[in-house]
Amino acid sequence: MTTSHVIHSLVAAAAQWLAPHSPWRARAVAADTGFSPAMVEEIIRRTFAPLTVAAFEQLLAREAGGRQELRGPKLIAHFLAGNIPAPAINSICFGLLLQSHNVVKLSGRDRVFPALFVESLRAVDAALAAHVELQDWRRDDRTAARALLARADAVIVYGTDETVATLRQLARPDATFLGYGHKLSFGIVGGGWPADLAVSAAEDVCVYDQHGCMSPHVFYVGERAREFAARLAAAMAEYQQRIPLGRLSLEAAAAIARLRGAYEFRAAFDPTVAVWSGPGHVVIFEQDTTFATSCLNRVVFVKPSGQIAEIAAAVRPWAGRISTIGLWPLDGRADALGAHRVCAIGQMQRPQLWEPHDGQPNLAALLR
Amino acid sequence: MNKTVDQLTSEILALIARGPLASSSDAEFDALARAIFLFQYAHNAPYRAYCDRLQRPVHHWRDIPAVPTSAFKDFTLTCFPPAQAVAEFHTSGTTRAQCGKHYFATLALYDASCRPNFFAHLFPDQPLPIWSLVPPSPHSSLAHMITAIGGSFVPQLEAVHTPVCIVATAFHLVKLFDQGFRLPLPAGSRVMETGGYKGRSREIPKRELYHLITERLGVPPTHIVNEYGMTELSTQFYDETMLIGRPSDLKRVPPWARVLIIDPQTSQEAPPGQPGLIRIVDLANLGSVVCVQTDDLGVARPGGFEILGRAPGAEVRGCSLVAE
Repeated sequence: MTTSHVIHSLVAAAAQWLAPHSPWRARAVAADTGFSPAMVEEIIRRTFAPLTVAAFEQLLAREAGGRQELRGPKLIAHFLAGNIPAPAINSICFGLLLQSHNVVKLSGRDRVFPALFVESLRAVDAALAAHVELQDWRRDDRTAARALLARADAVIVYGTDETVATLRQLARPDATFLGYGHKLSFGIVGGGWPADLAVSAAEDVCVYDQHGCMSPHVFYVGERAREFAARLAAAMAEYQQRIPLGRLSLEAAAAIARLRGAYEFRAAFDPTVAVWSGPGHVVIFEQDTTFATSCLNRVVFVKPSGQIAEIAAAVRPWAGRISTIGLWPLDGRADALGAHRVCAIGQMQRPQLWEPHDGQPNLAALLR
Repeated sequence: MNKTVDQLTSEILALIARGPLASSSDAEFDALARAIFLFQYAHNAPYRAYCDRLQRPVHHWRDIPAVPTSAFKDFTLTCFPPAQAVAEFHTSGTTRAQCGKHYFATLALYDASCRPNFFAHLFPDQPLPIWSLVPPSPHSSLAHMITAIGGSFVPQLEAVHTPVCIVATAFHLVKLFDQGFRLPLPAGSRVMETGGYKGRSREIPKRELYHLITERLGVPPTHIVNEYGMTELSTQFYDETMLIGRPSDLKRVPPWARVLIIDPQTSQEAPPGQPGLIRIVDLANLGSVVCVQTDDLGVARPGGFEILGRAPGAEVRGCSLVAE
């Protein structure tokens, strides 16, 4: 199978998802993903629209050094985590581009998208889809993990640092190992920000219900930070009308209630704190610039700071774990903060297919 | 007409004197709770600011604004000058600068409520010596409670020939058992264990701990009682196990308190049987705030409530890093 053939089949499968009356889209929307139907539609657009011939060719140009025909490891084991479909589906696509056999251990949090994608691929190109095998087992099943790792010439792991470390130890010493641990992201807004920037920021926060490694926990705003917080809250409320927050577990809802409750009490007596909240959004303004991690599900902090040095000090405890910085205006001032990716606000959750993930090239280490 | 602290204290003591297993009608509880609320609104500045912000009229005790336990860390929540405090209890597990602080102008209500409550639930048959594995500490409400009920601190459990009541934190018991500790206690001995729900991450599940207590201390599950209490409250809640002669997770509520289960999504009371966040109205908390919103999950049951452990696998786990 030529690389060009693989690309065209993958793109054809992706196009099926974006077509009007797509049965794949319908099934995903109806499935129990935990996301609202409108969010599932949004996720499908963001996952499959980037899968174009041009994007794949860019990827090859950047990572395969002009090679037209790719070869990779005989068998790649993919360990998926979380509920963001794009990294999972991209991982499968990369494995197929490499002509490898791909055994994919599904994430406990998403049994829907990878399975449906493989089915859609089978409908377009059964011979290609035969190179993907999906497996599912409990995360603590070491026997199953060991069995798969014994066969794997390359291992790609998404998960907590603990999971990555454990699987790295269990993988064959001669296997290529790519680990993607959990990361966090945040935004930096300079002075003179335009009114509609809050709308872009709201999108960065709300999409995927903030579950992704590129979802911002905090926005550091150099000027009129409290006003930015108010606008962000309004924009998130509007987003909720279009694309509602998904189903919350009791623990997730309790985590939000605890955080919101604590800050609401403080705000009554402490003028350096303010809270805006409603269904599907909590924005906390806090003068204290210490980095605050969100409990996710559309809970975001806004803190006043325009000094890169001050922000750098605040994020130092997270060194090496910063995925994406959304930056306005977009210039080089955040480059020294050690994020894997710096991009425009509004684009935080739209990495290009050919961009390295967590600073690691997607194919290069796997090319044979 | 606003009541004075002395009038309120006397009314609360009268309710406590009824006994922990007695009941109070909604009307009488409501009247006293709202009187205490008015007193606290008048004398507790941060609480007043919060109530003013909410602008919600209080027509019934269920309307009394709840204070999150975190507020005890950020504010001095007293109805009296804190310099006049006779006791200052701190939440554990955090640095002194960041711990919650509960100040008491008097421990009269605390002591009046805790002793009969403990005795009712742990000694329905006969009182026993109380041996505590909790080190004395001036800022520990648990240590004070143990003193108030007549307990003695024992740094190390040693063999004994007559039944005793052991009081310990779940955390301490787990540590002890991890070290291989084993000391069968005489029949009739019982164990009161507490904590383990605080940080929302229990060391080991309750059933497993109780199995270990039985195995290592020889105390059967019918004689193991969990106590639910916290620095921010004056009143404790116990499993009804020894009252009914069989293991039970149901905790009864004494007549001077009420427990509400709050749906975290709506902030309203959850329908009976649906889990939510535990909110407590504790009339003995006269000097601070009468209505406390805890961070713990529970469910209302006929006759009381149950604490819930953390639901397994329920945490949000996208690929976004969330600090515990």
